[in-house]
Amino acid sequence: MLRRRNLLTTLLIALPWALLLTLWHQYPTTHYLNLLRSKCKSSREGGFPSCTRQQQSIGAVPKIIQNYVYSRPPPWSDTLPTIFVITPTYTRPVQKAELTRLANTFLHVQNLHWVVVEDSPRRTNLVSNLLEKAGLNFTHLNVETPKSLKLGLSWIPSHTPRGTLQRNLGLHWLRDSFSNTAPPEGVVYFADDDNTYSLELFEEMRYTRRVSVWPVAFVGGLRYESPKVNPAGKVVGWKTVFDPNRPFAIDMAGFAVSIKLILEKPHASFKLEGVKGGYQETSLLKDLVTMDGLEPKAANCTKVLVWHTRTERPTLVNEGKRGFTDPRVEV
Amino acid sequence: MRLRLRNIFLVYFVVSLVGLFCALRELGEDPFHPPDLFKAPPIPPMPPPDPFHPLYSPPDSFHPPRPPPDPFQPPQPHFSPPRPVQKAELVRLSQTLLHVPALHWVVVEDAAAPSALVGGVLAASGVSFTHLSAETPPDLRGRPGDPSWLFPRGAEQRNRALRWLRDTRGRDEPGVVYFADDDNTYSLRLFEEMRSTRGVSVWPVGLVGGLRLERPLVSQGRVVGFHTGWRPERPFPLDMAGFAVGLRLLLAHPRARFDPRAERGFLESSFLGGLVTPAQLEPRADNCTQVLVWHTRTEKPKLRQEEQLQRQGRGSDPNIEV
Repeated sequence: MLRRRNLLTTLLIALPWALLLTLWHQYPTTHYLNLLRSKCKSSREGGFPSCTRQQQSIGAVPKIIQNYVYSRPPPWSDTLPTIFVITPTYTRPVQKAELTRLANTFLHVQNLHWVVVEDSPRRTNLVSNLLEKAGLNFTHLNVETPKSLKLGLSWIPSHTPRGTLQRNLGLHWLRDSFSNTAPPEGVVYFADDDNTYSLELFEEMRYTRRVSVWPVAFVGGLRYESPKVNPAGKVVGWKTVFDPNRPFAIDMAGFAVSIKLILEKPHASFKLEGVKGGYQETSLLKDLVTMDGLEPKAANCTKVLVWHTRTERPTLVNEGKRGFTDPRVEV
Repeated sequence: MRLRLRNIFLVYFVVSLVGLFCALRELGEDPFHPPDLFKAPPIPPMPPPDPFHPLYSPPDSFHPPRPPPDPFQPPQPHFSPPRPVQKAELVRLSQTLLHVPALHWVVVEDAAAPSALVGGVLAASGVSFTHLSAETPPDLRGRPGDPSWLFPRGAEQRNRALRWLRDTRGRDEPGVVYFADDDNTYSLRLFEEMRSTRGVSVWPVGLVGGLRLERPLVSQGRVVGFHTGWRPERPFPLDMAGFAVGLRLLLAHPRARFDPRAERGFLESSFLGGLVTPAQLEPRADNCTQVLVWHTRTEKPKLRQEEQLQRQGRGSDPNIEV
């Protein structure tokens, strides 16, 4: 009898701490503190869980945080459809540079909400700080790709679907944040952090009804790949050399899906297993739309508004084994 | 039984105290202190100096920066055959520059005349610009197969921009000149840091010289040395993106120019040597401790299928500009 009581007492004592530790692990300290600190201007768009500006700290040690405010996005409009941009990203030397220049692009686009999903077990300070300083509307998520998937299920490394879990998490967040009964006006676009986007592209995709498509430069070994559009303005095929018979022979950067459709089809997501190279986009789109339901943009797919640029991996030969530069300086 | 319970309570209090202590430390922690450090990948012992990777690698095109209040950027050289990613790079760079107030972009193409492609991008960008051209002499131009570091690139074009500045700017006009390659990445803060330049200001550059970053070493507000992994004996072991020159200083030295025949890695020194000494450099970016510009390089896109199709006469529509 006594033993059971002791056990119960021990359990009751340990429980709150276990809960606290779990919470602590899930939300990195800085993120939590920023939620405390920032005065959210969430009246802009109801329900967005993250804040865009960092105010004076009211933590235990008062800090003066200097905000270099150079640019703000155009003021939010209540009538313009929102563009949700989902960007998977992972830690590597050029990450900060890529996200910086992407932010510089997005700062020109009105009603843009950037969903950044890190391939990492925790949200990193580098990305958190960058997003806060940028001034954009953002949501910062993370999910780590398990090693077994990273190595790929086929022996050809290039067929490993990168960013899949992260994109799916972005879709999951959208489905959590918005209800199917009152869907917002908007569109979802999957933007990798090393591509180049013209500002015109965002205006083309903004009024997507279901799924819109356009050409993408530097993919498939060509100057550009594009959908084949007949004179009536319907998509009838794909102008690609690599497997043009795929149901959707299009690059990730070449299409956008309306929010309404994403919410209508809650089970549509990117497949992780058994996906052949070049079929990742198909794995999502086949559950959403058929080819005749596609809306061609960019002047019936005759203009190139997005380039699949890739950034060289910097050769850090002079760092040596122990690192030559100060690791505390963030690059 | 009692003893056990007391022990448990003791453990409980100790753990909660430790937890509180950690929490307080984290609360007081500098949010900018990065916990995840980049670890250099394990690599074999360094090869002898002179790595295959060029220290600086001016791309086919570059843009001279602009001085504040009326900054200028040098023209962008344009090699033939045209570089496929040129339009994308210019579009992306223009999106950054469009945020910077009082900026004038000078683009000089390495061509006989300014091209319509570049002209179109500049006109559509919304950035205030000047579009020039200056062709690199054939003997100073590499052949298609040559590595990019064989000849210093962009020297003639930057000199053409300098000539434009000297022709059009008044001697006492305030401003700063910055040389910005089109494949680098610039944060918006960089432009504000350079705006107050009187002589020559400097700051770290990320991902250059085979290192995570190269930077001047600063002590008590003055530059006392340079942190670099390649040929530190150079008078100015800086990258082109790592300095800006005050317009007045530039105009006061009408003979300062880039030497197109400079040895590899010495292009910046050939220019800066005529303007200042290292001790006179003005450190920026928090005494050169922050990276605000990265020497990113864009991969050459693989156009194998395109080349195959073109050999068959079925290449993509050349009227569609990429």
